[in-house]
Amino acid sequence: MNWPILVLLGTAVGVVSGLFGVGGGFLMAPILIFLGIPPTVAVASQASHVVASSTSGVIRYSGQKAVDFKLGGIMAAGGAIGALAGVELFRYLRLLGQADLVVALSYLMFLGAIGTLMLNESLTEIIRRRRGETAPHKDRRRPLFLYGLPFRMRFPKSGLYISAIPPLALGIFAGILSAIMGVGGGFVLVPAMLYVLRMRAGAVVGTSLFQIIITTAITTILQAGRNQTVDIVLSTILLLGGVVGAQLGARFASRFRADTLRALLGLIVLGVGVYMGLELFVQPHDIFMLAPGIADK
Amino acid sequence: MISAPPPPPPPALSAPLVPDAPVVPPSEQSAATEGGLRVAAALTDARIRVDSSFRGASIVLYGAVFNPSNTPTDVVVVMRGPETPIRLVKKTRNMGVWLNSRPVLFEGAPGFYMTASTRPLSDIADFGQLRRLGVGVDHLRIGAPDEQHTVTRYGVRDVVVSRLGDDYLDWRRAVIRLKEQAALYDTDPEGVRFVDKGLFRAEVNLPATAPTGEYHADVWLFQDGAPQSVSNLTLTVEKVGFERDVYEFAHRSPWLYGVLSVLLAAATGYGASRLFRRN
Repeated sequence: MNWPILVLLGTAVGVVSGLFGVGGGFLMAPILIFLGIPPTVAVASQASHVVASSTSGVIRYSGQKAVDFKLGGIMAAGGAIGALAGVELFRYLRLLGQADLVVALSYLMFLGAIGTLMLNESLTEIIRRRRGETAPHKDRRRPLFLYGLPFRMRFPKSGLYISAIPPLALGIFAGILSAIMGVGGGFVLVPAMLYVLRMRAGAVVGTSLFQIIITTAITTILQAGRNQTVDIVLSTILLLGGVVGAQLGARFASRFRADTLRALLGLIVLGVGVYMGLELFVQPHDIFMLAPGIADK
Repeated sequence: MISAPPPPPPPALSAPLVPDAPVVPPSEQSAATEGGLRVAAALTDARIRVDSSFRGASIVLYGAVFNPSNTPTDVVVVMRGPETPIRLVKKTRNMGVWLNSRPVLFEGAPGFYMTASTRPLSDIADFGQLRRLGVGVDHLRIGAPDEQHTVTRYGVRDVVVSRLGDDYLDWRRAVIRLKEQAALYDTDPEGVRFVDKGLFRAEVNLPATAPTGEYHADVWLFQDGAPQSVSNLTLTVEKVGFERDVYEFAHRSPWLYGVLSVLLAAATGYGASRLFRRN
């Protein structure tokens, strides 16, 4: 694999991640697979790229006091459990020869759904802005189950007094996704924190990045330890480009409106989901494939 | 995809050697067989180092043919790497969706296999002869035990280790095709060249993905379609260089490796944020 392409790829994905405030994992893994890197290695190796970009993100946000470490810690504990379960699941699927199917299906389902929602929401907002209408009053009530569950805790930074179970469950879910799709899970965490937990908007991104660092760090270690699918050379090349790109992207971000950015991101997310899903429906050029497992390098 | 009908699979059990060609103990220098017509060969280097430039390496072999008669002879070099089990899946279409079958385990496939010869193999000896000697990719004894049975391996049920009925040929050809695509199997009908009367040279290219370990080179001498002499050589392939060290490290202490790659990533992220904040 030639490294200038990988540096460029890392930089390009870094720009996207800085521009939209996402980890960029959902974009990196499919492109690596497209470049011919085995899906299992791609998913595991680029998780450390997510660690790097999230670390620089958290440092930036914690400087602005926009990270809720208490809520993030609970979510990270869930993330650790989810990562453990996800890596074992991934290992089992690899032995069954079904890892590719599950990766493709997860991308199609999650990215397809999230991308559609984001696109719909931001387009509605853009159209409303163009017509000069004001936004309808949003229902700010939280779902009742947040209060009905036990173990209620105070999260002053997020402005929450809710049960610890929903954030923990959210963390577990993100951990599993992180292991299977090689993503940070920000695209699931951020909407869930905003629209389900309804926490203070300013703390959402910083807190989710904090959770992502912990979860992807654990995932990377587990993938290396259990599946030996982490390629440190590949991931280092990617992340060197990635951190530079992220800083560039963050500078461009202020030139665009938030809803335009969200519409664009929704389009990219949807596109990646559909692209990954297509693999299930297009005739492969060779119906036989080497299954990773005992014989792979 | 249309091609000549494939040869039937060779028997799974191996009983390879020819009666009139006694087995020579493997060594770097070959010993020749008795009689007037014989072949001797030597490797220029019995330790092949595939370095991290990832361009692979090449194995050069020289040999001599002692031929008292005037009947022309042919030389076939068979290079065989250590055996690696292969897991293969077949994609099938179910209700419009391409799904992987359960993985099938093939045993006995060498991790590297290459033949180099003076002429195409089919011109040198007939099908039966080649099949008996196991010379040529079509005659590899890629094993799938005769009876179909499923075993539990690595905690996974229903891993088939067997012949696959009517589909078996497709599966077997796929193993070879995939290996050929990876440049791990090759047939070079002009790979052996005579540089002088009785002196030949063969070159085998080893891709960077070739497995490490002990390789066996069999140098066959054919005359009138029958094997007359064989010379067996062994060589060791090892990988050296930075990537190899990293690979070794990743497999020897995978947990430490994982922790290190995370620390490296976090440090890079931290470094970048410090660097860019100052600007």
